Amino acid sequence: MKLGGFAGRILFINLSTGDIRKEPLDTTLAEKFLGGLGICLKLYYDIARPGASPFSAENPIVLGTGPLVGTDLPATSRVYAVTKLAQSKAIGWCGGGGMNLGCMLKNAGYDHVVIEGSADRPVMIKIFDDDVEILDATDLWGKGVKDTCDSLWDRYGRPMGIMTIGQAGENRVIFSMAYIEGGATMGRGGLGAILGSKNLKAIIAKGTKGVGVAKKRRYRAQRDKLLKTMRDYPYLKEWQELGLIKSLPFFPIDLYKKIKKRRLACVSCPIGDKDVVEIKDGPLKGFTTRSTSMINLITPMVYGIKDYRESIKCVSMLDDFGMDMFEFFGVLSFARDLIEQGIISSEQVHDKIEINSLESLETWARKVCLRQGLGDLLADGFNAILNKFGDKARPYAPYIIRGMLPYTGPRGPLVWELFGTMELGQSLDPRGPHVGASGSPTYFARRPLDQFPRHLKRMGAPEDAIKRILPKPDSPEDEDSLKVGRLLTYSHNWFSTLGSLGICARAQINRFYNAETCAEVYSSVTGIETTKEELMIKAERVWNLLRMANVREGFTRQDDTLPDKWFNASPFKNYVTMRPITRQDAEGMLEDYYDERGWDKRTGIPTKEKLRELDLE
Amino acid sequence: MKVFKIEVKPELCTGCLRCELACSEVYTGSFNPSAARIKVVVSDTECSISFTEDCTYCGICVDHCFYDALKKIPEQTEEGGKL
Ligand code: SF4
Ligand code: SF4
Ligand code: SF4
Repeated sequence: MKLGGFAGRILFINLSTGDIRKEPLDTTLAEKFLGGLGICLKLYYDIARPGASPFSAENPIVLGTGPLVGTDLPATSRVYAVTKLAQSKAIGWCGGGGMNLGCMLKNAGYDHVVIEGSADRPVMIKIFDDDVEILDATDLWGKGVKDTCDSLWDRYGRPMGIMTIGQAGENRVIFSMAYIEGGATMGRGGLGAILGSKNLKAIIAKGTKGVGVAKKRRYRAQRDKLLKTMRDYPYLKEWQELGLIKSLPFFPIDLYKKIKKRRLACVSCPIGDKDVVEIKDGPLKGFTTRSTSMINLITPMVYGIKDYRESIKCVSMLDDFGMDMFEFFGVLSFARDLIEQGIISSEQVHDKIEINSLESLETWARKVCLRQGLGDLLADGFNAILNKFGDKARPYAPYIIRGMLPYTGPRGPLVWELFGTMELGQSLDPRGPHVGASGSPTYFARRPLDQFPRHLKRMGAPEDAIKRILPKPDSPEDEDSLKVGRLLTYSHNWFSTLGSLGICARAQINRFYNAETCAEVYSSVTGIETTKEELMIKAERVWNLLRMANVREGFTRQDDTLPDKWFNASPFKNYVTMRPITRQDAEGMLEDYYDERGWDKRTGIPTKEKLRELDLE
Repeated sequence: MKVFKIEVKPELCTGCLRCELACSEVYTGSFNPSAARIKVVVSDTECSISFTEDCTYCGICVDHCFYDALKKIPEQTEEGGKL
């Protein structure tokens, strides 16, 4: 059966042998694992050798897009990569708003690209329809993300999808990321370093094959309905105008309007939030940069940079090197404290670390990226620093999960003290703490509980689960117990749905989709008739496969870390009662999560029955 | 068939390619930006929006642009074109 939506082919590229192979996509894969994230995981699981080290040639990278990518359903452009990640050494996914890349890969005729082996010199992969080549990239090696993209666009024209790494990825900085056209990041967890270890500087794609849908009339009806709801959304203009500043109003709007140069959007997105800004005055006047969002550009102000213009310059520099800002600031602050304590001898360090000085940050970003002096150690992340300095250093470490800094927390970069799904989810993410997959109504707002059922239904949670999640009005001892762990199960399933179909999970997009709509568009695009219930089972299957892939690597409940420091000074608070969260509370939530999933509560491993039920044995 | 004069405002364009997706789907049956009769090329600092010779000025691309970068002026004319 020829499926709609899917390009119908998988591209296999072996960088060691130079072998390039195109194989048809097995339709049973699509039926079982939806597409995108789901099929990436399945391909990885089948191809990879368990136990392979992240930087070895035996660790493949599986890229892919979902069946909706390339259509004109709103904000369907996501690109995923699955690999064994540099930081957590677990199998994880990295996803990005696909800019042009997702649409172009599909138009070139591929749903997935499997990259195996490792090149013996810098290379890039060119995917232009059937013309697929491994090309020398020596001239690009050493360039930043922006220069690399510009050189490639100059050479091959626009529009063209590009994934690339900067110098951080080349030098295997453990928190380096891959970038899509400089405007979307892939890779908390060190995807950049994995690409770097393969000597793979960039992947470029364009194509002319077109993406068809199976049931046109149904497709159009559903699409038009979605677009109408978006057009009628009272905050549409505001979102388009302000981007993420709309939901996180941390920057004066007038100033934002002054420096905003262009809004950018991923292909098909009606509510784009990518920013191009230009500094209008001061010593940095005329400096222009693109970013995943303005919010990113001002984050260094949280760390003490006073001037927003310097903050913009700083993030732009880190993006250009291609590394994660949170980890960079985290390891640098840690190193500064260790120097202050005399644990790192100040004689070894010629340049002072000043977290609030652009000049110092520029110096240290370079040292880390190019692995110079102490930068070489910092480039290997928190665990490497702790290993080197041992117990002396431990009291000065921030709280870390799987060797990385959690995004949110009472003392995290984004101060957020209520313990919801995004907080708990950080401990369960195999790639290290990330909030992306754990969205729910507990997200950044004290949303009243009576609004939860509507949201949970939208996310595909069945009625009986909703009853288990929400406090029971008639049992007073339960009145404070919103079951965050159980709720997280459905956050993950919902994310798994969006990721496998190719829909952006950002709040302003996600809100327009619900499980029913997803089932309907999946059916009409692919021609695989799927009910809402069936869709959610497939999404659940994908999440269980992610778990099993990591169980096969030896990960268990012990790795679902809840850092001690979460429960010491200024702990999180219960979402409903505001009482401090104890370790016992949080462990209970983890157990609820395993239980809701049908995983063994003691080990965190999916039970045989569960695997049988999901046809994953 | 109705035809339109189409005004373009490249400064508002986001490169979302919704216009190209819509045009190609209507005229070729699949979503294929390379086959669209409108061509959008956008960078941080520049943007060009043009129409190919085959463009019928049917205005469908305009209906799919969410960012006001394309506009039909006036509502209907004898002969379409880019304004
Ligand atoms: S919301 Fe942002 S990340 Fe998501 S599709 Fe739109 S532009 Fe891309
Ligand atoms: S006016 Fe019609 S034919 Fe011309 S580009 Fe737009 S949709 Fe295509
Ligand atoms: S739909 Fe509008 S904003 Fe999007 S690329 Fe076309 S002209 Fe630009």
